[in-house]
Amino acid sequence: MIEATQTAISHPEVAKITSPSGVELFRKELQSRLDPNAPLIIVCCGTGCQAAGSAEVVDKFKQMLSGTDWNGKVIPLVKPTGCHGFCSRGPLVIIEPQDLFYQQVTVDDVEEIVNKTILNNEVIKKLQYKPANSKEVIPKASDIPYYAKQTRLVLKNIGKVDPTEINDSIVRGSYSALASVLTRMSPQQVIDEVANSKLRGRGGAGFPTGLKWESCARQEGTRYVICNADEGDPGAFMDRSLLEGDPHSVLEGMAICAYAVGSNRGYMYVRAEYPLAVKTLHTAIDQAEALGLLGENIMGTGFDFKVTISTGAGAFICGESSALMASLEGKVGRPRPKYIRSVEKGFRDSPSNLNNVETYANIPDIITNGGEWYRSFGTERSSGTKVFALTGNVYNIGLVEVPMGISLMEIVFGIGGGIPNKRALKGVQTGGPSGGCIPIPHKIPDINVGYGKLAEAGSIMGSGGMIVMDEDTCMIEVSRYFVNFLVEESCGQCTPCREGLIRMREILNRITQGEGREGDVELLTEIGNFTNNFSLCGLGTSAANPVLSTIRYFREEYDAHIRDKKCPSGVCKPLFHYDIDAETCTGCGLCKIKCPVKAITGEKKKTHVIEQALCIKCMECYKNCKFRSVKIM
Amino acid sequence: MKVLNIILNGKAVTAEMGQTILELAREHDVFIPTLCDSPALEAAAMCRLCTVQVIEGKWPKYVTACNFPLRRDAEVVTDSPEVRHGRKLIIELLMARCPTSPELQRLSVDYGCDLERFTPLNDDCVICGLCTRACEAVTGRTLSLAGRGVAIHVDTAFQKASTFCIGCGACVQICPVQKIKMEDVDGERRIILHGKIASRVKLPQCTSCGKYFGPVIDLKQVMERMGEHLIPPPNATVCPECSRRNLAIKLGKRYFEQYGVFEEEGQANAG
Amino acid sequence: MSGTACACQEIECVEIEIDYSLLDKIIRDDYGGNREAMIMMMQAIQRLYRFLPEDAVKYLSQVIEVPLTKIYEVATFYASFSLEPKGKYILSVCTGTACHLRGSGGMVEHISKRMGIAPGKTTSDLKLTLETVNCVGACAVAPVVVIDEKYYPKANIATLNDFMDRLNAE
Repeated sequence: MIEATQTAISHPEVAKITSPSGVELFRKELQSRLDPNAPLIIVCCGTGCQAAGSAEVVDKFKQMLSGTDWNGKVIPLVKPTGCHGFCSRGPLVIIEPQDLFYQQVTVDDVEEIVNKTILNNEVIKKLQYKPANSKEVIPKASDIPYYAKQTRLVLKNIGKVDPTEINDSIVRGSYSALASVLTRMSPQQVIDEVANSKLRGRGGAGFPTGLKWESCARQEGTRYVICNADEGDPGAFMDRSLLEGDPHSVLEGMAICAYAVGSNRGYMYVRAEYPLAVKTLHTAIDQAEALGLLGENIMGTGFDFKVTISTGAGAFICGESSALMASLEGKVGRPRPKYIRSVEKGFRDSPSNLNNVETYANIPDIITNGGEWYRSFGTERSSGTKVFALTGNVYNIGLVEVPMGISLMEIVFGIGGGIPNKRALKGVQTGGPSGGCIPIPHKIPDINVGYGKLAEAGSIMGSGGMIVMDEDTCMIEVSRYFVNFLVEESCGQCTPCREGLIRMREILNRITQGEGREGDVELLTEIGNFTNNFSLCGLGTSAANPVLSTIRYFREEYDAHIRDKKCPSGVCKPLFHYDIDAETCTGCGLCKIKCPVKAITGEKKKTHVIEQALCIKCMECYKNCKFRSVKIM
Repeated sequence: MKVLNIILNGKAVTAEMGQTILELAREHDVFIPTLCDSPALEAAAMCRLCTVQVIEGKWPKYVTACNFPLRRDAEVVTDSPEVRHGRKLIIELLMARCPTSPELQRLSVDYGCDLERFTPLNDDCVICGLCTRACEAVTGRTLSLAGRGVAIHVDTAFQKASTFCIGCGACVQICPVQKIKMEDVDGERRIILHGKIASRVKLPQCTSCGKYFGPVIDLKQVMERMGEHLIPPPNATVCPECSRRNLAIKLGKRYFEQYGVFEEEGQANAG
Repeated sequence: MSGTACACQEIECVEIEIDYSLLDKIIRDDYGGNREAMIMMMQAIQRLYRFLPEDAVKYLSQVIEVPLTKIYEVATFYASFSLEPKGKYILSVCTGTACHLRGSGGMVEHISKRMGIAPGKTTSDLKLTLETVNCVGACAVAPVVVIDEKYYPKANIATLNDFMDRLNAE
């Protein structure tokens, strides 16, 4: 794990901030000590880059820097930051003040970077970014299209601040909005500003945030402010990055909400699979409380707001609001009927305002810049920006923040860089297990991202997971995967969800194993609609979306599996085999080398052959053949 | 109390604010099938059999009658084709799990169910949660719904026979498929669940008649949370029958003393 | 004081020494005996023993006055809790969508076949526990395998074979 490094800005002599104007004074003081030309070595230490060894890179840098003779020059500061989002190129290193971008940096590269770049201002070409299929190097991070084409509002601090050092966040404006709220705004004015922004819940449901705060404020009794950090959608990691990279934006958003709805008590429910986020949050809260920015008597105004971190224990359903609140009470995460909303009766049967991490993170800037400013981004019905986690068959895997209304094709090609290995795009899946697959560009040319538009197309916005699927994806297998996921994650209490999912899984298993029957699609549709209409909670009422949307757009694949017993995309093993096309095979022998079970024979420059009895259909030969001679039969 | 105007299956009626659709329907003799509902317990809305359609604004939505509180003027449709289709599926799916529920068997005829559609799961439980909820209402010490998703099932802690159970038998009485059994064998009460012994309770022996006795909870009483009254006090040595008989003799003695007609107290009586 | 662990017949039964003073520290000191923190107490207990021993759970039930059957309900509901002892090494394969599309399903099958255990289970010599986890959020380096909290990016059959070879040699 990363420990806090020495601070970029030395601590001024202030123990606690005792008035809201003190925040601005402190910020100015910090700024005055900041040298914009100071040399920095920024290393991304989000979970993804750490998995690829960035922690070791940080240690090596520190080791090398302390062992170097500086001759009076300023020693660069090594600054670990949260997840930049450009995950496919990690580990990432950015050298300041020149904004020099280095990608896929390993421990072995550190010595060269110190000796060449830090000491001699030389650039190391092999570590620089080149767009796919191009030899043109782009030296500056801010010029790289992946960053340049985004609208990074809520992600603006990530990659710039050390999340374990609160001064870094304060100098960039954290807690200024809260100070402003406590000085010159009434709770109602705060609610009005949020309503003015037309911000909609970023957890997936898209409920107007201002309206939710308004309802909560109107209730009687103790109110609770809860942050849903249970990001359970597989393939979504936006919230993880926000919590690891800029925790104060979320905490500040929660505090502003607490002031608006009349609460003094906050809970952050973080899933157990994010240990780094939990650790970062604990540090952030401790540091904020020590400075008087959270906890008791915030900024000397008498306003109290205490935040407690609670962890999940491995249950996707606990992302559902009533299940989350049950879990916060130490119980099983079984959703309760929502006919009475949780703003009325939620946690401890009391009025509770629950919002997603990204929703809270947007609040400080909405207060500082105004609701109208937020509405200048996005569309009429979906204002502002959204962070998406772009994964799957796309070059630039990672986080992208874009204005609502942007086209999906622009995200996939303009920012994502397109599809690798010369494959064709088949569709984009949004909303995780509750969403559907949008078949761009062949069946629908394009779609503008927004809550309504995605719902019309049979999917949902969801929390932001966006999975790009190429022609080698079997849509039946995709819906089987999501149904299988939900069968285990469903709480199991209500008949339609539990039994409906079990039966849909049964049918999809048969189909992918070559035992599909005439009438299966109709049965899936019947059960799917039933599950969506009769289930108790949001998991159940959206459980059939992947199945129903693939039936809507990819019926021909279902027919091929059921009638012809064939998987055209080459995924369902009993329903296809590989053959090498004699006409295009050049006998290069690459497939033979890649095969892990030695099932391919052939001489140099002669057509190679696959021994079907040995073939395990692992896809290595198919993926690697440069001439696309391995055919799906 | 605010009065609401509700159109129930085309008929104009009034309801109290917060009244559930099921309560309203029963007031007006409209039948809505239920499985996991019991007057003794709070509604859980797990089986979804009582689903109906309600229109409060523009669009109809599906809600469960047992726990949906009416709070605005609305239209309620309890038997539309869509609702009946959903109920048909619920019955088919639950019967595939557990074919012996008399309630479900009756309904399967009424809804024209195809009971061959789904391969049987051969469970003996419809996961209605009634037994666990009843247990919770009495002592809360024995049964719970363990596991999740497809693996959800009724169980005791660590799948072992419970030593905390008081043998009240509420779970036995309330199970709609009558799959929980109670046996009194050799001074021990056993609750049998899924063919295994879920709890063993040592029964006290009546010092009057020699019979072994244990509590029996009347579910109506559970509803009024008066069940404790039927649990013999901790140091009871006389079973409820003998207790009632002895009380009758005491009272009778005083009344009949003048006539010289009464039985000797403590005389043992067979059975 | 000591207590025994499981009652299952699949694994060689393990005698676990329960340190009740440590449990007291967790339950009373760290979490103030607060029932709402029960899940986090159970997580702390599991970190101590690498699973939830029955006697530890019984003690928890007594101290915070929550029926044993309710704690069992919670322990069987949340996937991260284990009522059986875990192996020396815990190998988690991420089965999130990005990892799945890159073949994590095949990796689970492969380990399962080679070590003879189903996902969620432990080898009878208590060396290895195989688990699946639903997305660790490192999708760019899919497929991800986590062994004892160390992340292995872009794992493949060869990586796994290496690990299992070394394990068998132990």
